[in-house]
Amino acid sequence: VNVLFKGVGGAPVLNRNKFSIATTVKYQSLLVFLRKQLESKPNDPLFTYINGAFSPAPDDTISNLYKCFSTDGMLIVYYRYVVKCAIFGSHITISSVPAWG
Amino acid sequence: MASSTPTATTLFRRLCWDGTVPIEVKIDSKELPAGSDRTLESFYIRAPRVSYLPLLIQEVKTFLFDLVLDEASAKDMKTDDWWFEAEGGALLKWHWPVGLLYDLHLVAHPAPDFQMKPFTIILHLASPPTDKLLFTPSIETCKQSFMGQLKEADFLRWGNTKRVTSLRKEDQDGLWEGIVEHNFDDFWRIASKIAPSPNPLAPPLTPNPSSPTLPAPSSRPASTQPPSGSDRDNAYSVRSVPVRIYLPDGPVIQDLVPPFLEDGLPHSLSLFLSAQLPLLFKPSPTSSLSPVDPNAPKSNLAFALIQGVIAPLDCEMAWLGACMSGADGWVNVCIGLEK
Repeated sequence: VNVLFKGVGGAPVLNRNKFSIATTVKYQSLLVFLRKQLESKPNDPLFTYINGAFSPAPDDTISNLYKCFSTDGMLIVYYRYVVKCAIFGSHITISSVPAWG
Repeated sequence: MASSTPTATTLFRRLCWDGTVPIEVKIDSKELPAGSDRTLESFYIRAPRVSYLPLLIQEVKTFLFDLVLDEASAKDMKTDDWWFEAEGGALLKWHWPVGLLYDLHLVAHPAPDFQMKPFTIILHLASPPTDKLLFTPSIETCKQSFMGQLKEADFLRWGNTKRVTSLRKEDQDGLWEGIVEHNFDDFWRIASKIAPSPNPLAPPLTPNPSSPTLPAPSSRPASTQPPSGSDRDNAYSVRSVPVRIYLPDGPVIQDLVPPFLEDGLPHSLSLFLSAQLPLLFKPSPTSSLSPVDPNAPKSNLAFALIQGVIAPLDCEMAWLGACMSGADGWVNVCIGLEK
């Protein structure tokens, strides 16, 4: 199925952000794949949100997620790093992605 | 509690909340350090269905671990490397509610007469299979996972997670605290703000069928809600009910479950299961008016276990979503095979 990655909150934008992924894999594999695309180290914090709304359990299958949450034939995954602030003065950019609250 | 939730709904939620399962915890004897007391073999615990394994660790530590190991070893042992396995060898996931782990075990290893035997789990103290476990057993990750499931359920119902994310931080934390402390009132005081209520959709203009003008204030609270209030959080107006099907050998199925089908009838468990698992649940005649074929096999090959109860197949999915979901908002249906 098709997956679209959207970087938000200052995360790097991928040159290619649409990928095809097998339905049988678990979400965990998608995370590993995204890390490779972003060339981020395993310990770098990376947060992903389906449709920008929630983070599924890593052992959910892509098939289940696609059935329930795809939009126009794509599963949209937002990703961002943790935003370390305080360097930019008093104005902090608030990510449009809802965080834990 | 001044709430508009009908009594029946609260009753079912209470029953689900108070549900417990018997668990027997044994420490893997190969991993016990020298000097341990090996006469204490196991520890029995009545765990709430809505709880999670990481939350039980403290109790296991106090009542089993500290008694079995001598003081020196017990002090050095960190719980980070702990992991649980079912007696048959199945790895137990940290982020699945205890009730689900139990029910799945029950359908995978059916006991005669359906007695509630204790679920024997083995506590390992070291070498967790991190590639399969995906999580460390910290309470914080468990909480994050719980909140994630809550949001996913919210999104499935309404297409957004506004109900969960607009709760104040204290309320969000309060939900988890309710589970940790196992306090029904604390949990549901907050959860009722985001959980759907199962009032069948009233006709749009008459909230109370017997009085077309103003609803009587003292009659059943459910029907006196102004239509906009009850529709907003109504279990029957969700986009999809958060349900997952668990098969005994592992696969988990999740799909869209609208509360009503195209023909206007409420979606029922039998229709849902016969659509997802047609080989196990034979599709029944689509029209209730067609004569029942007397030669058709009456019993199904399988049954559905929800919160430890064999669910009648004519349950409505929307009702299940409002009354029989776990604390994380999901209705977990474990499928067992009839003998």
